[in-house]
Amino acid sequence: MNKLARLIKGEFNRLLKYKILPVSLVTAVIWIGLFLFISAEEAREIAPLVIFVDVAAMSILLLGASHHLEKQDGTIRTMMVMPVSMGQILTAKTIASMALALESAVVTAAALYIIHRVTFNYFLLLLFVVIAGAAHAAIGFILSLNSRDFTTMLGMLMLYMLVFVMPSIFLSLGIIDAKYEFLFMISPSHSASHLISSAVTGEYQFGMAVGGCIYLAVLAAVLLRFAVYPEFKDNAARG
Amino acid sequence: MGTAFSVKGLHFRYPSSSGDVIKGISFDVLEGEIFGLLGPSGAGKSTMQKILVKLLEDYRGSIRYFGQDLKAMNHSFYEEIGVGFEVPVHFTKLTALENMQFFAGFYKSTANIQELMERVGLWEYRNMRVGEYSKGMKVRLNFVRAMLNNPQVLFLDEVTNGLDPKNARIIKDMIAEYRDIGGTVFLTTHLMNDVEQLCDRVAFCVEGELVEISTPRDLKLKYGKREVKVEYRDNGVLTSAVFPLDGIGFNEDFHNLLKTANIETIHSGETTMEEIFIIVTGVELHEQAGQID
Repeated sequence: MNKLARLIKGEFNRLLKYKILPVSLVTAVIWIGLFLFISAEEAREIAPLVIFVDVAAMSILLLGASHHLEKQDGTIRTMMVMPVSMGQILTAKTIASMALALESAVVTAAALYIIHRVTFNYFLLLLFVVIAGAAHAAIGFILSLNSRDFTTMLGMLMLYMLVFVMPSIFLSLGIIDAKYEFLFMISPSHSASHLISSAVTGEYQFGMAVGGCIYLAVLAAVLLRFAVYPEFKDNAARG
Repeated sequence: MGTAFSVKGLHFRYPSSSGDVIKGISFDVLEGEIFGLLGPSGAGKSTMQKILVKLLEDYRGSIRYFGQDLKAMNHSFYEEIGVGFEVPVHFTKLTALENMQFFAGFYKSTANIQELMERVGLWEYRNMRVGEYSKGMKVRLNFVRAMLNNPQVLFLDEVTNGLDPKNARIIKDMIAEYRDIGGTVFLTTHLMNDVEQLCDRVAFCVEGELVEISTPRDLKLKYGKREVKVEYRDNGVLTSAVFPLDGIGFNEDFHNLLKTANIETIHSGETTMEEIFIIVTGVELHEQAGQID
């Protein structure tokens, strides 16, 4: 097994042992419990929100929890003195975070099919979730690395949601005119939400979908390389 | 004997600090020796160790590792070194064995985990979660972690801190054996017992500068008193007399005392590492106990 595969396996093992994966699964199950009490059309409308919350908020939250637990254990520092590159460590952690987002999308899609026989373009949904998951993993890293502890990180996440999610809510409520939506694509949360909704409802605006994908992919790459990468090592050295 | 590390004119400043925390340090760590870096809290010992293990890289000056520029070395450098941190560095929800197996999986060469854990008395607790370990057990597991990859150079920070004398002895024996088979050790500690029993050479770091570097024996000679103190009973009363060490073999008074008095103790005036620490650094060790660098 190569080192990256071993790191990823270790991340998944810890997601289980630290109860992060089971908690994520339980959260998804609670959400989809709602599907039992609503119609197929209502379920199709709510599903993007459920997946979006898991991709944009829960994955950041769980990544933060995992990061602060590892920081408390001192294991980030010891991993920095192993014969693996920091790029491999970050890749493994990002993949683990994206897997949490994918797990939620798969569970939600399966529930929609089993309960309401609702189907949609699964490939596109998974593609969008992976891209949005990567961008939000990078954001999760930044919040975690710049917070003293998990509580501080929660506060920062709330602030992030306030700044980036509230405008999207105003848009969906019609408080802001829909013709300005393209402006909101600058918000990673709105881009993610737009992409996920597109995949589930099947209503695409080609330009916005492609632009959203490119934007989130570039954002993930830039944040991971220029914000997370240097800060991660500094954070580990400081302990 | 080659040179494991050659440090020349090293300066380092944290981005947040106003001045250098390492101020032009130069020293060599020889292959196969136990080199101790001592100093008061905040002296720069931990920073020095972080630089040598490449956790901190924005330094000025030159560091060569077995002749190669340390900055130019990639992460394969970690195949050759073992790092024992002062604080526990294990996944607390995983068992000790799961931790060791996880870390061992990344190295080309690995030691026998069972042998190491048995030696430090942890094998029977291998399936216990590290979170349930006592402080001493975590310290011992830290040492096993550092030895996992059969390292060429071992970095140990306060390696016996928190251990009972028996377990501290086991770890110190293992370190000495490791040195005897050619391993190099870079040790930072405030425990002068460890220094006396282990170190071949020591350096004292004060406010980012090396103020003294020598062997413990030479330091004791340099800072000790060249005298012999004899304690004896004189009509039942404990009495002492001090004689100069130079020419002691021809000192009539000394010889007469040995022949006639009821001698209880004889001590040379060599000093302890603890006293040397206080003289060289100007800091009492008990001040250090609660705030180790």
